[in-house]
Amino acid sequence: MKPLPHNLPSPHVRGVGPRGFPLRLQATEVRINPVEFNPDFVARMIPKVEWAALLEAADTLHLVEVPKGPIEGYEHDEKFLRQMHHVLLEVDVLEGTLQCPESGRLFPISRGIPNMLLSDEETET
Amino acid sequence: MSDVQEATKQLLDVNLHENWRANQVTESGPRSESEHLQVTIGATVPTGFEQTAADEVREKLGSSCKISKDRGKIYFDISVESLAQVHCLRSVDNLFVVVKEFKDYQFKETKEEVLKDFEELAGKLPWSDPLKVWKINTSFKKKKTKRKKINQNSGREKIDNGQGDKTDEKEDKKGFTNNTLDSHILDYYENPAIKEEISTLVGDDLASSKDEKDEKEETHPKVLKFRVTCNRAGEKHCFSSNEAARDFGGAVQDYFKWKADMTNFDVEVLLNIHDNEIVVGIALTEESLHRRNITHFGPTTLRSTLAYGMLRLCAPQPTDIIVDPMCGTGAIPIEGATEWSNCYHIAGDNNPLAVNRAANNISSLLTKSQIKEGKVSWSLPIDAVQWDICNLPLRTGSVDIIVTDMPFGKRMGSKKRNWNLYPACLREMSRVCKPGTGRAALLTQDKKCFTKALSGMGHVWRKVHTVWVNIGGLHAAVYLLKRTPQLLFILQNKTGKELLGDAKNEDG
Repeated sequence: MKPLPHNLPSPHVRGVGPRGFPLRLQATEVRINPVEFNPDFVARMIPKVEWAALLEAADTLHLVEVPKGPIEGYEHDEKFLRQMHHVLLEVDVLEGTLQCPESGRLFPISRGIPNMLLSDEETET
Repeated sequence: MSDVQEATKQLLDVNLHENWRANQVTESGPRSESEHLQVTIGATVPTGFEQTAADEVREKLGSSCKISKDRGKIYFDISVESLAQVHCLRSVDNLFVVVKEFKDYQFKETKEEVLKDFEELAGKLPWSDPLKVWKINTSFKKKKTKRKKINQNSGREKIDNGQGDKTDEKEDKKGFTNNTLDSHILDYYENPAIKEEISTLVGDDLASSKDEKDEKEETHPKVLKFRVTCNRAGEKHCFSSNEAARDFGGAVQDYFKWKADMTNFDVEVLLNIHDNEIVVGIALTEESLHRRNITHFGPTTLRSTLAYGMLRLCAPQPTDIIVDPMCGTGAIPIEGATEWSNCYHIAGDNNPLAVNRAANNISSLLTKSQIKEGKVSWSLPIDAVQWDICNLPLRTGSVDIIVTDMPFGKRMGSKKRNWNLYPACLREMSRVCKPGTGRAALLTQDKKCFTKALSGMGHVWRKVHTVWVNIGGLHAAVYLLKRTPQLLFILQNKTGKELLGDAKNEDG
């Protein structure tokens, strides 16, 4: 699971409002995959990034050289784009957990696949 | 064009040019003659997606198409140099080169006369250019001897274009006794029994692809082997496809002095008869292109060509987030990641078996492209998640496109379950889908249930288009929906029960 979809998930647990985002990422096994750099793709993804979530994930994954936010003229800043490319596409969490900051509920990540299924009690109104 | 496609195209182009050099040495004919050869190519596509396929042809080859509507065939002209690119089309199942088309063939009254006409026809057709195309085509196809053996065992080999129409009668020359309906279903959904054989295909593929580069066109001084496949549809014919194939094939054999061989053939001649239309062609694909992405099958794996058609309907834009919330083995997101690699794809399912298969298919695809491209490592913009469609762990309004194959209730789930599932799905999908710009392409056979579920959701979903498709004999539909600009607001009434309703005011 790459940090990019991590940007998206928010556990839609009944009773927990949209404040349950972002999920806290913890990783016990991470793989770095070299991926061909596509500056255009990265540049267009920047507006979709949730920076708070990304920075928190970068922190727990001990990633260095992660930009703190979009800088002016980022579309043409190769260094910036390469750093973002690395954190968005080349980092793969194989084992770990996602934790809801509201409820503390842990969602496991196993073999790169997060399991976001809620139990029956959690979905009951 | 994605990087994978670009590299594949270059690889194929290189092979083609190598063969031109080889041809110069071995043949005495002028090279320039073949280079400017224009041919008519026929392609079979999933019924209902003829227009989508035609759009792809126009986009990638620059040719306009003649569409044989609702029969799953399109025709277009290309110059022979573009042949490699034709194989890169993702919306077509099978390809053939047209030898001759008869728009209004006059059938004689009796069977004997009709069959005699077919016999005489064989010698009068313009074979030479199509055969040149066939030759070029063969020279850059991979060697698939191992595949052929596996296919024979599974009995799938004889299953060609599964159109599934009731009026179609499809029999091979020697009367291969397959139950027609079964074969149609198999064509659309891969049989789990052959899963084991298919997964070894990838291994063989990888092993043999290394030899690919050394492969030059072999000179075949030996006699060519062929077979004739006849598809016949129409009420008024006084003959069967078996008889036509037999007699036409006999004449072809006499004319070319080829050897007839049902299983290990070099040339497959197609005789397609639809009412008064006859098309004679030579097959350019050995087996359908639609199995390309999937190595690990599930009970209801969707054809890649159908997945492509559905994705294309949604017109993905760069960096769109594309989600399949009921992905099964991941056919749709995998096709998406391959063709639209500048988008982000998420494959989700509640079934751990399905999610694992999807993850395995993604890995297989990665391995395949690693070897093809010769890259050290590669990643595709796709992830797999285990989730509940009714409780998607996705932020509201964060998804651009939803494409999925909804449970039909025949092979998976049940009709009764659909009555509850469909409305819940549509609600949750409307929540995550971006208002105003979001869209969804949903495939289902349970049209009644879907229509009813949709009728209560006019404030968030607008039905834009319906494509009628035929899935293994089942009449299904792909509904293209647009997400309205209406926001969805999660309300809680006094009892704390959550309601999904319309946003009266914008969320502040």
